[in-house]
Amino acid sequence: MSSVTDFDAIVVGAGPAGAAAALELARAGRSVCLLERGPFPGSKNMYGGVVYGRILDTLIPAWWEEAPVQRWVTRRSTMIMTGDQAVTVDFRNEAWGAAPYNGATAYRPDFDAWLAAKATDAGAVLVCSTTATGLLREGGRVVGVRTDRPDGDLRASVVIACDGVNSFLAKEAGMYPHTDPSNFTVGVKETIGLPREVIDERFGVRGDHGVDIEIIGCTGDVPGGGFVYTNGESLAVGLVLSLPQLAAGDTRPEELLRRMKTHPAIAPLVEGGEVLEYSAHVIPEAGYEMMPELVGDGILVAGDAAAMCLAAGIWLEGVNFAIGSGAEAGRAAARAIGRGDTSSAGLADYRRRLESTFVLADHHRLRAAPHLVMSPLAQQQLPKLACGVLEDLFTVTNPEPKPGLRRIVRRRMKREGVSTREALKQGLRALRTFG
Amino acid sequence: MSSPSYPEISFETRMGAVEFRVDEDRAHITVDDTKCRDCSTRGCITACPANLFVPTAAGGILFNYEQCFECGTCYLVCNREGAITWTYPEGGHGVVFHRS
Amino acid sequence: MLVAACVKYVDLRPQVDRLTGHVTDGGTSGWSAADLAAVETALRLGETWSAPVAVVSAAPESADAALREFRAVGVDRVVRVELGLEAGVELESSDVANVLSDTLRSLDASVVCCGDYSADRGSGSVPAYLAHGLGAAQALGAVEVHTEGPGSLRLVRRLDGGRREQLVVDAPCVISVEGSVAELRRASLGATLAARDAPIDVVPVPGLHGHASPVTRPWSPPARVQPAPAGDAALQRVVELTGALVERTPPRTVELSADDAAELILDQLRAWGYLESSAQESSE
Repeated sequence: MSSVTDFDAIVVGAGPAGAAAALELARAGRSVCLLERGPFPGSKNMYGGVVYGRILDTLIPAWWEEAPVQRWVTRRSTMIMTGDQAVTVDFRNEAWGAAPYNGATAYRPDFDAWLAAKATDAGAVLVCSTTATGLLREGGRVVGVRTDRPDGDLRASVVIACDGVNSFLAKEAGMYPHTDPSNFTVGVKETIGLPREVIDERFGVRGDHGVDIEIIGCTGDVPGGGFVYTNGESLAVGLVLSLPQLAAGDTRPEELLRRMKTHPAIAPLVEGGEVLEYSAHVIPEAGYEMMPELVGDGILVAGDAAAMCLAAGIWLEGVNFAIGSGAEAGRAAARAIGRGDTSSAGLADYRRRLESTFVLADHHRLRAAPHLVMSPLAQQQLPKLACGVLEDLFTVTNPEPKPGLRRIVRRRMKREGVSTREALKQGLRALRTFG
Repeated sequence: MSSPSYPEISFETRMGAVEFRVDEDRAHITVDDTKCRDCSTRGCITACPANLFVPTAAGGILFNYEQCFECGTCYLVCNREGAITWTYPEGGHGVVFHRS
Repeated sequence: MLVAACVKYVDLRPQVDRLTGHVTDGGTSGWSAADLAAVETALRLGETWSAPVAVVSAAPESADAALREFRAVGVDRVVRVELGLEAGVELESSDVANVLSDTLRSLDASVVCCGDYSADRGSGSVPAYLAHGLGAAQALGAVEVHTEGPGSLRLVRRLDGGRREQLVVDAPCVISVEGSVAELRRASLGATLAARDAPIDVVPVPGLHGHASPVTRPWSPPARVQPAPAGDAALQRVVELTGALVERTPPRTVELSADDAAELILDQLRAWGYLESSAQESSE
């Protein structure tokens, strides 16, 4: 191994994973270079979502007093819809609207820049507008990265690849065996500007409280889901679409999004707004089952690059897993540098630590969930069944006597072609997955 | 499912709301469209969120790289080995999100 | 000899409220393409003439990180003129030029490159004021810049009708360039890392009095006070107010040669009494 290094560690990508890794390395007294290909951290990043900040408690005490948050989510709705019907499970919890809070909406360019500034405050060296184009290797071992700046080679004892879902570095290191498009979804999203008072009124919230609506059955023939989130003076409205089926069909993403926005349950929420920004990003949907090798000789992988995105229907989380895995990668790298052994053996406790925390525990437990959520049963039959049963239950048919619930369910199951046996089987599967 | 009160914006308006710092010197996407001629699926045309891939009358694919979200959908759905070459644009260039 | 570039730190994506016209800071400040082209032009001239290159900017402290990027691409000296103005207060272009020309004179700058206009709806007049303040030649709005010899430049600029004009100027001179003239070179990684701690010379200029930034408001026609209409019945008053039954000259369409048409328009304007005062002046 070459003894000449520019830094103890190089972190590629200043998103939540990279910023957390650089923060922990800098706090451990290691010299760390944080590379970002955008003009500022967060400039390439979008999400369909909510930042769950519990993981930040240990990293940045009282983070909620300074993080650039749009609204605190105090109302969580799960909506199941058909063409013109919708069933919503709506949960409101005022406790989430006060410290230490549960989840927040935020603009990622703001949030990621804030988190990266924490790393630079701790001593990390942030270099923006610099794309890592490849790995420097010596005898199979990673000793640095090549960047697209003139004289752009940079050497370090450890490289932490937090370079996002397309992670060219993890692929170059041979840590991704293959990329199967069915493991990915693409998220498309409109940021729709509306006055604060209008949002407060339409969504029934006040002050800095906000709403998170997850939707299933809104993506036509393409398996996926939808979401509506409230920011301070805008809404995030978008879809998550399974790549193979999207590509095989002939309806483009923005058309699918338009259809959801005209649904009677969504149109009154979004109408009259102005599209402030449109964005898209690929999501590593399959989670645990698509994870690459996390540790190599001189390299660790964290965040979306390691497919640490939980897309399990009722749970949609990513930023927290990115921060969690990035921070562990930073700590593991710092310990390995301290011991003078940054081989894969020296870095191996990264994976062990992840397994003992929520990062891999959640992914492992919910490893079957992505497939379940994307199954035709959840995507097509469940919405029709749920809406149909409730339609029969709540449609007053006097002077006909009311039918019993059991009869309604049986009739609707028959109409949707769901056998009792299949329903029980899938119900058990769901219990096993989520239980 | 239609609501007359919701006028849909044009695709150009939609993309006009996004900042792109275009690299005039290098296209970060290239398409070898000899490989696209016998492709029956052409998933990139439907799936690319930025609508950067357009079929040509000659049976090939015309592509643009300037308004790219850099999401990676195109190469992931491409089923012709090596038809789409896709890298990140030069540092500092490409899409810049502000409110996403 | 020193080649200088003057750049303005501006909001690159201001948010404009379409209803009220109110402009708010988009939070992404930086340099316009024209200013970046000016820095690249200065660097190229410096290389050709083996002269040091400086960048001068009247900017707040928040511009320091962006200014250091010029150090990374090879600018020898970066001077930030600290105006000490409060947010929302601007200086007149002539005052900005005065302040900058003092600094440029102290640097002994013989060629000054500027962007031809800033991205924040500025007047684009600072380069001309600079030339005046420095007593230097000026060649503004260049689309091409060539060197003729030490301190001598040949510039090409646009004229109406797609024509081009060539100007040869010698130092001391102030030039301004369009953004298409040159793309700022990319800094090497080592230089980028080194420039993080590079010093920036700060020149405080105290005691300046700016004016508040212009506030854009939606245009509304000014109210005109009209006497109350006379008449007993409401209908009469409405007719009076709207002038519906008042005799008027009906509009007519005429086809005339340009000279005759102009004469007819002047006759009509005289008939309406618009040209009386000027007619009197010219007759006197």
